[in-house]
Amino acid sequence: MLISRRNFLKSTATLLPAFASLPMVFRRAVASSMLESSSYSSPYQNRTLIIIQMAGGNDGLNTVIPYTDSKYYDHRSYLAVSDEDVLDLNGELGLHPVLGKMKLLWDQGLLAVVQGVGYENQSYSHFESMHIWQTADNKGKLEEGWLGRYFESLKGMEDNIFQGLAVGKLMPYECSNLNAPIPVVSSIDKYRLEGSTQQRSEALLKLYSSSPLGAPYGVLLDNTIEAVYKSSEALQTADKNYQSDIQYPETSLSKSLKVLAEAIIGDLGVRVGHVKIGGFDTHSDQIVEQPALLQEMSEAIYAFYEDLKAAGRDQDVLIMTWSEFGRRVKSNGSGGTDHGAAAPMFLIGSPVVGGIYGENPNLRNLDKDNLRFTTDFRSVYSTVLEEWLGAAPEAILGGQRFEHIPFLAKV
Amino acid sequence: MLFNKDRRLFLQTAAKLGLSAGALIIFEQACSNMVPTEEAVSLMPTSQPKLTPTLVPAQVIDSTSQTPVPYPTAGPTPMVGPTSQPEMAYPMNTPAVNKKVIDDPRVRMGHLLRRAGFGASKEEIDKHLSMGEAETISYLLDYDKSDDSEVESRIESLNLDLSDKLADLQRMAMLRMIYTNRPLQEKMVLFWHGLLTSGWKKVGKGPYMLQQDELFRSHAFGNYDDLLKAVARDSAMLIWLDSRVNKKNKPNENFARELMELFSMGVGTFTEEDVKESSRAFTGWSLKKKVFHFQENQHDFGVKTFLGNIGNYDGDDVVDIIMEQPVTSRFISRKLFEFFAYDNPEEEVIARLAKTFNDSGYSITALLKDILTSEEFYTQQAYRSKIKSPAELIAGTIRALGIESTVTYQVRKYMGPMGQELFNPFDVSGWPENEEWINSSTLLNRLNFVNAVAEGNRRHFDYDLVNMIDLKTVNETKDVIDHFVDILLDGEISEEEKGIYIAYLDGLLKGEDLQTGLTKDRLASLVYLVMSSPDYQLA
Repeated sequence: MLISRRNFLKSTATLLPAFASLPMVFRRAVASSMLESSSYSSPYQNRTLIIIQMAGGNDGLNTVIPYTDSKYYDHRSYLAVSDEDVLDLNGELGLHPVLGKMKLLWDQGLLAVVQGVGYENQSYSHFESMHIWQTADNKGKLEEGWLGRYFESLKGMEDNIFQGLAVGKLMPYECSNLNAPIPVVSSIDKYRLEGSTQQRSEALLKLYSSSPLGAPYGVLLDNTIEAVYKSSEALQTADKNYQSDIQYPETSLSKSLKVLAEAIIGDLGVRVGHVKIGGFDTHSDQIVEQPALLQEMSEAIYAFYEDLKAAGRDQDVLIMTWSEFGRRVKSNGSGGTDHGAAAPMFLIGSPVVGGIYGENPNLRNLDKDNLRFTTDFRSVYSTVLEEWLGAAPEAILGGQRFEHIPFLAKV
Repeated sequence: MLFNKDRRLFLQTAAKLGLSAGALIIFEQACSNMVPTEEAVSLMPTSQPKLTPTLVPAQVIDSTSQTPVPYPTAGPTPMVGPTSQPEMAYPMNTPAVNKKVIDDPRVRMGHLLRRAGFGASKEEIDKHLSMGEAETISYLLDYDKSDDSEVESRIESLNLDLSDKLADLQRMAMLRMIYTNRPLQEKMVLFWHGLLTSGWKKVGKGPYMLQQDELFRSHAFGNYDDLLKAVARDSAMLIWLDSRVNKKNKPNENFARELMELFSMGVGTFTEEDVKESSRAFTGWSLKKKVFHFQENQHDFGVKTFLGNIGNYDGDDVVDIIMEQPVTSRFISRKLFEFFAYDNPEEEVIARLAKTFNDSGYSITALLKDILTSEEFYTQQAYRSKIKSPAELIAGTIRALGIESTVTYQVRKYMGPMGQELFNPFDVSGWPENEEWINSSTLLNRLNFVNAVAEGNRRHFDYDLVNMIDLKTVNETKDVIDHFVDILLDGEISEEEKGIYIAYLDGLLKGEDLQTGLTKDRLASLVYLVMSSPDYQLA
């Protein structure tokens, strides 16, 4: 699959003088690849999965709150959210009061909560646990991200540079794929090559695809320069054509989701979009820090949903949140919580059958001060891969089969 | 952090297999015609020390993969394939790990000054070549013999607000990297800032980040136990990892965990109980009037069990016990070697460095000396094996071209988008490494940065490109290319690349002769191309 992409690049590079401008060449390629993707058929063709990574370990207990359980109040002292303040979901659980917009989504049946998500032998290291979630493997055997493997599986889509789009500064590891690096963009505004001329571009592409001495990272650099050229022009065009009356809040996550909305509405063919919101590592000052982040998230997601809905694309977009772990059940002495284990995941959007899935956390049966997991995170991945993206999950999840969770409406 | 190593090993090796990207394609094409069995994979030679079975990614033997690509373990032996294969165009005899020692003194010097500093201008390299390599290493290590007052006055003249303005802190740090006479000291400051990191977004305004920067500068080369004990008392760290609110009876685990996981031992080398017990030892290590304060009534004086030891430990005892762990000397040896030389060093290298470290009483200087004088450091395996961090790219470019700059906003604005906002890392793990620096957004911004340099607006990048080349010395286009490739790339490029540069410059000259045709704009375009090349992204 790499080959035709590369051959394409090489053949256009030699044809260059015949074209007016290089980016135009790439833009045409992107567009035509979308139209010609024969093996990639409906009903999955227009679907997008949006990943929202909540980095640092979000406190699940203070997000979906078991406010009817007195044990919650015993463990959490002043960090506990009063039962009068929670936004009740089902008479037993309630959302943190700052999640008002999420509650609106819940009321419309657009929010699914999967409870007790985790994996066996929880790692309490941020980076090891992230790696487990990102590779979908807690045995340390699989390399590359699980979505990177999904991209690899997209036969016939190799010319679509936008199979994935990450908004941020770094490549999210779950999307990593050396052979087909997805574009990463932090702001569309600045996502353009300055001083670019056709001669420069031509020489530059030749340099990148030639064989430099020693050249470690040669493949990565070569594939990335291709992503630069192909994606910058296409994103500028999508940005120019984008019109929306939806007011996004002035937050970082909102801006990121807006970039994804522009790409989706601009029909760039994004299968997977990725955004990240950090700061959930609330060892202290949790009472200030966490609500601010939850609110940012809630409001950004709502604006994004509204934007897609106004453009008639909400049916095509599923949002999934994850965090490397939840937090310790008992709060610490510094107004925070230390690293923990199981936590809820959110699935949001028109394709979702709203409700609570999985077992609620049992505060009376802890595993060394931590919540026991009751749902393997790969059950969620597997459901999303097969039922939403139409991919074969076993191939992507290391050959294992995971039970599906019925949070998606049947088409 | 094995998982991390494995991933890097995988990516790096995959990249190295593609010595030529084109060859990888041909190789894949050849391979797509054969379907290797598990047996075939197991038959692949795995005797190369660098190439463990982790190189065979799981998806290769995944029966569901439709066109499995066997990853060959590189080495002098051709891959053993079970079936007849089409003739492979891939140069299987090219070793992925090239242990050949670089012999050209100029290339060695360029490499040394880039890794153990932030690169050098042609004049500096000439100066150090006449000093000799050994003398240069002494100059780098005995940094306090070099007068650095010039960089101090550069900083002073700008009247920076180093307490309350992140941008000014960044400016100060960049100015030091660019204009210091003590490049290895500044390189170590950057290293410690990446390893023992703290960040503005949580630490905030005040003298804290500046003090931490000064701590790293004063302890750049000392003993590691002293540095860890100082860091445990450092105001920025006390805020960043919550020690200041670590209280008796309900301890906060943040600092204790990262002390072991990120600063000294690595993930998976300690238990959750060790985290809990050591966090008790640091209770009461607080902050008062912006400086470290031992809050006695919040310290847990009870007995702790830590890494198999039992005693009434405080934080210093915890650091001492950590230093005694064999994993610690290996951890820090690996970190430093990978920062300076290359990734995934051989076991014998780590063992040797760990011994150097332990025998010297945990001396960082001893480790640095070992690394910089080692043969491994000067092999092809090390040369251009790392991706330049954005700070290295910016400082290195300005140094190499001899640019006068006060690191104005027009210079700094590229740092964040390239992924390295100094003093404000993404998270507690510090700065990314190698392939993590490269994605479409960061690469685009790297190119935009070098474009700004090439355009050379005098207010931001003051230098004279035209005067950098003596027209009397150039007879043909190739001479011009050689001149700038010497300055920017140690003169080391392939013939194919040289051909691309020559064709490019010839295209710009449109038949004009060199003496009149080498205008500033054309030179700028050439310099842009060299600096945006894949080679130039490598350290």
